[in-house]
Amino acid sequence: MQCPSCNTELPKKAKICPKCGTAVGKPKGNIKLMAIIGLIIMLIASLLPLVQSGEKIKEGVYPTAYAFSYMNISMPVLWYLFIACIVVGIILIVARKEFFSIITTVIAAVLTVVSVFAVQFTLVNGKVAGGGLKYVNVNLTDILSNGYNGNTYHIGCGFIVLAIGIIIAVAGCFIDIVKPFKKDLHVDAKYLSNSLNQSLTSKMFYYRGFYLMFVPVFVMILLFNYWPMLGVRFAFTKYVIANPYYIGLYHFQTMFTNDIYFWQAFRNTLILSLIKLFLNTGAAVIISLLLNEITNMIFKKTVQTIIYLPHFMSWVVVASVFKMLLAPYDSAPVNSILINMGAISSPIDFMNSTTYWRGTFYIMNVWKDTGWGTILFLATLSGISPDLYEAAQIDGANRFKRLIYITLPALANTIITVFILNLAKVMNLFESVFVLQSPITYAKSQVLQTYVYTKTFGGGNSDYGYTTAVGLFKSFVGMILVLGCNWASKKVRGRGIV
Amino acid sequence: MSDNQTLVYKKKKKKFKVFPIVNAILFIIIACAIMIPIYRVIISSIDAYSSYGFTWLPQKFSWGGYRAIVTRSNLYRPFLISVVTTIIGTFVGLLVVTLGGYVLIQWEMPGRNFFAYMLLFTMIFDGGMIPKFLVIKQLGLINTLWAVILPMAINVYNLVLMRNFFEGIPESLFEAAQIDGCSPMGIFFKIVLPLSKAALASIGLMFAVSFWNDYTNFKLYINKNSLYNFQIQLRSMVVDSDIPNDGAVNPTTISNAATIVAILPFMIIYPFCQKYFVQGVNVGAVKE
Repeated sequence: MQCPSCNTELPKKAKICPKCGTAVGKPKGNIKLMAIIGLIIMLIASLLPLVQSGEKIKEGVYPTAYAFSYMNISMPVLWYLFIACIVVGIILIVARKEFFSIITTVIAAVLTVVSVFAVQFTLVNGKVAGGGLKYVNVNLTDILSNGYNGNTYHIGCGFIVLAIGIIIAVAGCFIDIVKPFKKDLHVDAKYLSNSLNQSLTSKMFYYRGFYLMFVPVFVMILLFNYWPMLGVRFAFTKYVIANPYYIGLYHFQTMFTNDIYFWQAFRNTLILSLIKLFLNTGAAVIISLLLNEITNMIFKKTVQTIIYLPHFMSWVVVASVFKMLLAPYDSAPVNSILINMGAISSPIDFMNSTTYWRGTFYIMNVWKDTGWGTILFLATLSGISPDLYEAAQIDGANRFKRLIYITLPALANTIITVFILNLAKVMNLFESVFVLQSPITYAKSQVLQTYVYTKTFGGGNSDYGYTTAVGLFKSFVGMILVLGCNWASKKVRGRGIV
Repeated sequence: MSDNQTLVYKKKKKKFKVFPIVNAILFIIIACAIMIPIYRVIISSIDAYSSYGFTWLPQKFSWGGYRAIVTRSNLYRPFLISVVTTIIGTFVGLLVVTLGGYVLIQWEMPGRNFFAYMLLFTMIFDGGMIPKFLVIKQLGLINTLWAVILPMAINVYNLVLMRNFFEGIPESLFEAAQIDGCSPMGIFFKIVLPLSKAALASIGLMFAVSFWNDYTNFKLYINKNSLYNFQIQLRSMVVDSDIPNDGAVNPTTISNAATIVAILPFMIIYPFCQKYFVQGVNVGAVKE
């Protein structure tokens, strides 16, 4: 075999020409995105009820035997196996071995059936654990015809979603949905894994030290990022410390239909984050434009140093600084100014008033982060060639025209980038609100994360299951935002944010 | 000809003179808006009397607030906890991030892409606050400082940042070292680390700021008075006005002094390290 570009004889199984570095052989196909989507749908299905009772959901009354799913067991071995199958399937698809992923998909499907019908076993501590119908000592036909515990049952949404997932996953292995959106299958030589033209084992041996280096990262990521992901199953359970039991979509139904505080928190999250984002970005753009006009370097550096400063203060410090400024007394700085101006007659308690809380929050955000936000804009502005301004000046463009026709177009990309980067974090609003809010202002200030916190740890009977469900909703919306922003970022600047 | 040019030049210079002055005044106002609240807290922290009004100088000078922080165990203990967490946390964080970042630039290593995707996925989806809390509880880390240090040390964003810094090292250096017979570990210690001092400073400072300012993790995972950090103590003093009043020192003075102590470490080192902070932000956005 010969290299197509330089005609040197290639070593056996070489994927890259050792002489000129050209990739030889068939390029890797696109990732079968549809199959991955199918597998993810299956993953979601595993959390949904496979068999569902006809019971009406009532507030405060947990369904007696709502559903039979992987979660019905105190030791979700089968669920872990199911997830392992899905994850291996996704890895196989990414490694372009789609046909093997069909096998794992089938195993996952079999595991579902097993979890519904079979496997009941006794744990070491004497508890009976096991999946499916055996758990309640009835079988599927009985349930579907006669009911159990006075309830009628029908096939749950889990089965339907799972079936859809399997069909998409298997069909996706044959259909390339990425192709129409991609122009060419360019593979950068750097990313081709076989450029050393060595066998896999010898390469792994060569890199043995690196695997050792990655161990701490790997373990910590698994412990603190992936293990909590498995914890989303509690969103589908009544969380009793000893033995959480599966109650299907009960929490989600309550959350979406009965919980006005949840909707309030969701609305507040969007309002506070988005307005904050607009204000911060806008202020940062204006300040960096003005700062760019300053020619005295010492003055400019001093101003920069000062306006970056608040970024290093924690929210607690910002709260304490502003608490002093906004104290609800006649003599407190802000109130005394307002009273002297005649704007108000009696002092306002800004931090504890539903009317003013949001405004105060925005002002504090602008105060804290605007300066820091200018860094990127200033870097872009300093990259604009002075020749452009000179040419424009010779052509008779005034300061305003130069701003409109040179500076802003050059800055547009950075503005969009910053905006996209921050839009992805919209749902993460927590600490700033948590430190500043008080129970009086919950109506205006409670965001999803603080709602989860106060509902779980704020006393009273805390249902970890319910708050996990709220958290899962938040993570889900966050994920959509991140993926959307990633897509937008790829469109705008050619590469993603993650 | 030259006369003509100077004429035009002079004319232009006169025309735009008003804008720079307005601009400079504007920035002086902005700088004041940032510095005056801080100045106000500094003054209150050395004032024996508490007042809500604005004063340029303390009514009665006293070091009482700071003395209380140094002498009262419920105030200096949180400070020491904060210092310990920041030092250990920054060290662990840098270690993890450097190791991970260096592995991620080994493009030909089998499994490298898997590791990269594995890290990136955590930026897309997270389990949420409660599952993470349950995991940390299950690991038995509740009420230990590791509950704060470990989850924050594995910061994927900083890891990717570190990788970007490493990627900036010219590949020819690695090749040359490889040809000279340097092992991958040797390359790491003899070439990569010495060349990444700026990156280590930049990311180390980011870690230090996040550990020093950490409030959320302490609030979630620590519920023992003796392990609270300074931010938690400050918040309970300022917002909940929970200051042990022994009559000797004004409580407001103490809480203001505590506020100043909480920002002091970074106020001191920040002007000298500003370029590292700025560098971190720029690398993060330009190459992610």
